[in-house]
Amino acid sequence: MASATAKSAKLRDDSLRFLPWLFLAPGLIIYSIVVVYPMIYSSWLSLFRWDGVAPTKVFVGLDNYVTLLTQNDVFWIALRNNAIWLVAALLLPTSTGLGLAILLNSKFRGSHIFRSIFYFPAVLSLAVVGLIWTWIYHPDLGLLNQALRGVGLKAFTRNWLSDPNVALYPVIIAATWNAVGLPMLLFLAGLQTIPEELHEAAKVEGAGPIRRFLYVTFPLLRETTLIVLAITAINALKAYDIIYAMTNGGPANKTQLLSTWMYFLTYNYNQVGLGTAIAVVLFSLTLIFAIPYIRFMTRKG
Amino acid sequence: MKQTIAKKEILPGQSKVALFYAALILAALIWFTPVITLILTALKDAGDFARNGAFSFPQSIRWANFKEAWDTGVKNYFWNSVIVTGFKVPIGIIIESLAAFALTHMHFKWADRVFTYILIGLIVPIQMTLVPLTLLMNALGLIDTLAGLTILYIGFGVPFGVLVMRGFFRTVPVAIIEAARLDGCSWFRIFYRIALPLALPAVVSLCILDGVSTWNEFILAQIFLRSDELRTLPLGLVQFSTQFSTQYDQLAAAVLIAVLPIVLVFLFFQRYFVAGMGGAVK
Repeated sequence: MASATAKSAKLRDDSLRFLPWLFLAPGLIIYSIVVVYPMIYSSWLSLFRWDGVAPTKVFVGLDNYVTLLTQNDVFWIALRNNAIWLVAALLLPTSTGLGLAILLNSKFRGSHIFRSIFYFPAVLSLAVVGLIWTWIYHPDLGLLNQALRGVGLKAFTRNWLSDPNVALYPVIIAATWNAVGLPMLLFLAGLQTIPEELHEAAKVEGAGPIRRFLYVTFPLLRETTLIVLAITAINALKAYDIIYAMTNGGPANKTQLLSTWMYFLTYNYNQVGLGTAIAVVLFSLTLIFAIPYIRFMTRKG
Repeated sequence: MKQTIAKKEILPGQSKVALFYAALILAALIWFTPVITLILTALKDAGDFARNGAFSFPQSIRWANFKEAWDTGVKNYFWNSVIVTGFKVPIGIIIESLAAFALTHMHFKWADRVFTYILIGLIVPIQMTLVPLTLLMNALGLIDTLAGLTILYIGFGVPFGVLVMRGFFRTVPVAIIEAARLDGCSWFRIFYRIALPLALPAVVSLCILDGVSTWNEFILAQIFLRSDELRTLPLGLVQFSTQFSTQYDQLAAAVLIAVLPIVLVFLFFQRYFVAGMGGAVK
């Protein structure tokens, strides 16, 4: 009986047993070869000592990870920089994006133009953003030092990108300029789902703008906020181009991130084992934010 | 008497509006300072820049910067970016929408698991793939070719493309598709005659988002392109900046040339950015 039902279902749509795979095949095959297989192979390679050229690789177990943690000072600098970068990315672009979204969500003349202006840096490549900001930080001719001199704060001028104590922060500011657009866009989309009547009702009850934000807007933006935080964190850990364009990890490796230090170890110093081990560490950090994100994206089944 | 009261009420309101706009315009100007600096630098000659710095009006406008930058190599970078983007985006969209259609409408038992498998690609740091890809591309003779780079871009584009297209295909009513099935329409016909046309806004959105990110991509190009004449724009510009580190005028012109297509796309298709990102979080 059961087999009869199955058989009739099969007769109705015999094609569905293999046809979806046919539709999926081109995408799945190229994605598996280009992304998934290399991921797995990288994890495997991180267990070997290898210069990337020699025919034999020496299996060393977790030695590469131990070396990174105990003997590789730059790894710790990079890890610390990644942490600073992450905290900055979770605070600055997100709050700025939220503020702009609330400001620009109300319909007034020109609101669309302002949205475009504030979104615009997000469409530029990080290499270009890095180049533009490098001029702003130029010690003699750059706008920042000129402005500081102009208002009598000459004492604060410095060679922003060559000063080992501060160089990371100007890069983060430049990255923030680029990173504000996405949260702004997502928050604007989230705000549009909040019915106007709720605000009106709160107004009638005598709630001021701050209380309306805290008790009406913000709770209803919870889902958007979580998505924004996850995407921002994942993107922050991917940062690479802008460092390469602005400081190339310098001065004295003080602005290395895990991503750039992986590149240096692998391609400049031929330490493939250490390089792939860093990639695995970076991926593990990403997973902290990515697992809740992916669960959220697949929640509806 | 009545009139004056009314006037008094209006005036603070008006000045409030004026203040609001003044603050907003000031913020926008500060926000756009880097762009303004870039344009001003591209328009002045090197001497002017050395004397007056980046943020001053050009003493005389020098359009020749653009021509010189173009001839010094930007022309090559530009066309390489056009070729890579021109192949990557359409091929990518076809395979991504085929996959997304199967995942949303073909009553496919494995759909959720396959979708999760594809989403992993969204979060993988690219560093995780570089070494094996280098070995693979080497073995296939694809290092230092635009074709090889395009293939990588297509592979890395799959997760985002599937995510966006799936978001939109889900809004295509199941009833339409079932009706077409009852009429004996093949799945492939349903895909390209019904689902794809209905998702046309999504296709446009994805084209734009994908086009912009391909145009801007840096790290894969950096690793897999070796010769100068094959470089794409972001890579070429960074190279240009280290080679001609003092020629800010030409570099700024080069950057503007690189950014121009993005600006045009942004101005004409702005609403699709919003629609596309909306599709990605649905």
